[in-house]
Amino acid sequence: MSKNEIKKLIDKTVETIFFGTALLSASFIIIIVLVIIQRGISPFITDNDGLGPVNLVRFLTGLIYLDGPTFLSNAYGIGFLIVSTMYNAFLSLMIATPIAVLTALFIAKIAPRWIADILRTVIEILAAIPSIVYGLFGAGVILDIVYDLSVIVGVQSAAGLSVLSTVIVLAIMIIPTMTVISEVAIRSVDKTLIHGSLALGASKTQTHFKVVLAAAKSGIFTAAILGVGRALGEATAVSLVAGSNRSGISFNLFDTTSTLTSTMLLGMKETVGLDYTIRFSIGLVLMVVILLTNLSLNFIKRKVGNVYA
Amino acid sequence: MNMRFKKSTLFAGLAVVLAACGGATSEGSSISSSSAPAFTTSNNVILYTRDTTSGTRDGFMSGIGFSAAAKDDNLLTEGFVIADNTAILTAMGGNDKYGIGYVSLSSINNTIKPLTFDGVEASEDTVLDSSYGLKRPFNWMLRNPGDFPSVAVEQIVDAFVAFMGTIEGGEAITGAGAVALASTTRWDNIKGQYDICLADNSNVTVRFGGSDSIEKVAKAVTASFRPRCGNFVAEHEHTGSGDAYKRTVGAQKDEAVGKDVGFASRPFTGAEKLVGGTALPVDQYGQLAWDAIVAIVHKDNPLSNVNADLLKRMYEKSSANAIRTWAQALAAEAAI
Repeated sequence: MSKNEIKKLIDKTVETIFFGTALLSASFIIIIVLVIIQRGISPFITDNDGLGPVNLVRFLTGLIYLDGPTFLSNAYGIGFLIVSTMYNAFLSLMIATPIAVLTALFIAKIAPRWIADILRTVIEILAAIPSIVYGLFGAGVILDIVYDLSVIVGVQSAAGLSVLSTVIVLAIMIIPTMTVISEVAIRSVDKTLIHGSLALGASKTQTHFKVVLAAAKSGIFTAAILGVGRALGEATAVSLVAGSNRSGISFNLFDTTSTLTSTMLLGMKETVGLDYTIRFSIGLVLMVVILLTNLSLNFIKRKVGNVYA
Repeated sequence: MNMRFKKSTLFAGLAVVLAACGGATSEGSSISSSSAPAFTTSNNVILYTRDTTSGTRDGFMSGIGFSAAAKDDNLLTEGFVIADNTAILTAMGGNDKYGIGYVSLSSINNTIKPLTFDGVEASEDTVLDSSYGLKRPFNWMLRNPGDFPSVAVEQIVDAFVAFMGTIEGGEAITGAGAVALASTTRWDNIKGQYDICLADNSNVTVRFGGSDSIEKVAKAVTASFRPRCGNFVAEHEHTGSGDAYKRTVGAQKDEAVGKDVGFASRPFTGAEKLVGGTALPVDQYGQLAWDAIVAIVHKDNPLSNVNADLLKRMYEKSSANAIRTWAQALAAEAAI
């Protein structure tokens, strides 16, 4: 075998190995999606051990999680959970976006290099902290602060378990991720745009807000998409601070709340039958909610992003 | 030099900020505990409950005569909070002066205020002497003698019943959160009476079932007993107290779901102590433990004593004589 042929053989083998790993990782996603779909659909098309199929319309629009006793009723409804999940994620995004973007702007453009390096490292570490740690911080610190706040504003709160605590914990959790991505986007803004702006007489602040942020809009939207995805999908941290309400929509910041994920987690280890399988259906709905949210944010990104592209 | 100065300034700045945060936090908590209004009785009662899959909730709701709410959230007063054991303890031990919840006796600690029930303080002693009322018995029932799948199974079950009454069995029960009955016997002192435990039983399966509230305790006891009795296979399928009788001596005993030992988290009914009109021998059923539940509040809460009726009036949404505020709760306490 000539040297050339050996090289070709090695290339071929490496290609095959790469293809194999790519196939493996892709198939995980497909298998997971298929299992969730298969298990998630079954409550609506099977008899559920004599309870009868779950009514899909009621499930998607219902304002009571379960009308009737657990294990004896099939009247599940998660309409209110879809709304509260979106509400919590939206509010946390509202808090996180300005903080993350301004932090990113500071690190990328304003801070001296050595401060930027320290801050960047700190934020990267924060982004890697597991959500349960944020949850514990929320349960140990945020709940007390929110409770004290509720006393000040004269509202009775259940130990601080509330929309506000949930939103704060989620915001703290997504700020680092959003900052890291926004910072990369801001740093990669073409220098000639900035120089052009400064040369035209714009101040640094004007340039930062009107040129840099405008040019990095697309990357900032990507940060928002990832941030909102994490906020929508977070279960552990939320379940420690939300209070798990079981019915009705409330936009009051001091009321207890629930999300799709925290509901999936609640009692998961102790349950069987339909009450277990229905969690796959909730998971399926969550996947659709995340998909639709991402699509709409992507749509907005396409409409408003890339001003200087 | 300049750079070093800047860095040290930054770190000093960070330290000041952190110290300020720490100071603010401790100051904040001391303000809330010292200058906050003592206890506003016009405030609403915030109800804490476990979720519908919890055995403790089942025990609590049946203990206050509100069994229907064990598995149904819609019967509970609006605004209740679902939390696990730790979260209920944290809320009562932390800031929620106006909350009330319940936990198992084994979780009681000194950060919260346990309420007396009918004037009796919850403790292992008051549970065992039956003066404490918010509790339920954990019972077992066996198949009829000679009706087991094999002699080996029957002998293992006999040994198992004896083990439940030993100190080691009691430790397993207590470890799983229930109150074991008093015992002075060690397994080592009685194991000689059970030759079956000397054999290799790894191919013998014993079927356990009945109450799902007892599942954790039952599994703890079998896990502790298996290595002491030839490593028999313990098959657990816990479906509800009703199946304890039904699947050991009742209608389903010979079906695939039949069990060798059935557990019930309530007293057996008169009908369940009969088979074919004849009374079951008294050694075919018995009690292994008590499940005691304690209603708890914040230490600053003036409520100290409750009874089943008071708690039910708090938790029941459609109560005719509902208790929604602490003033009502304290009035109800005074009337006990």
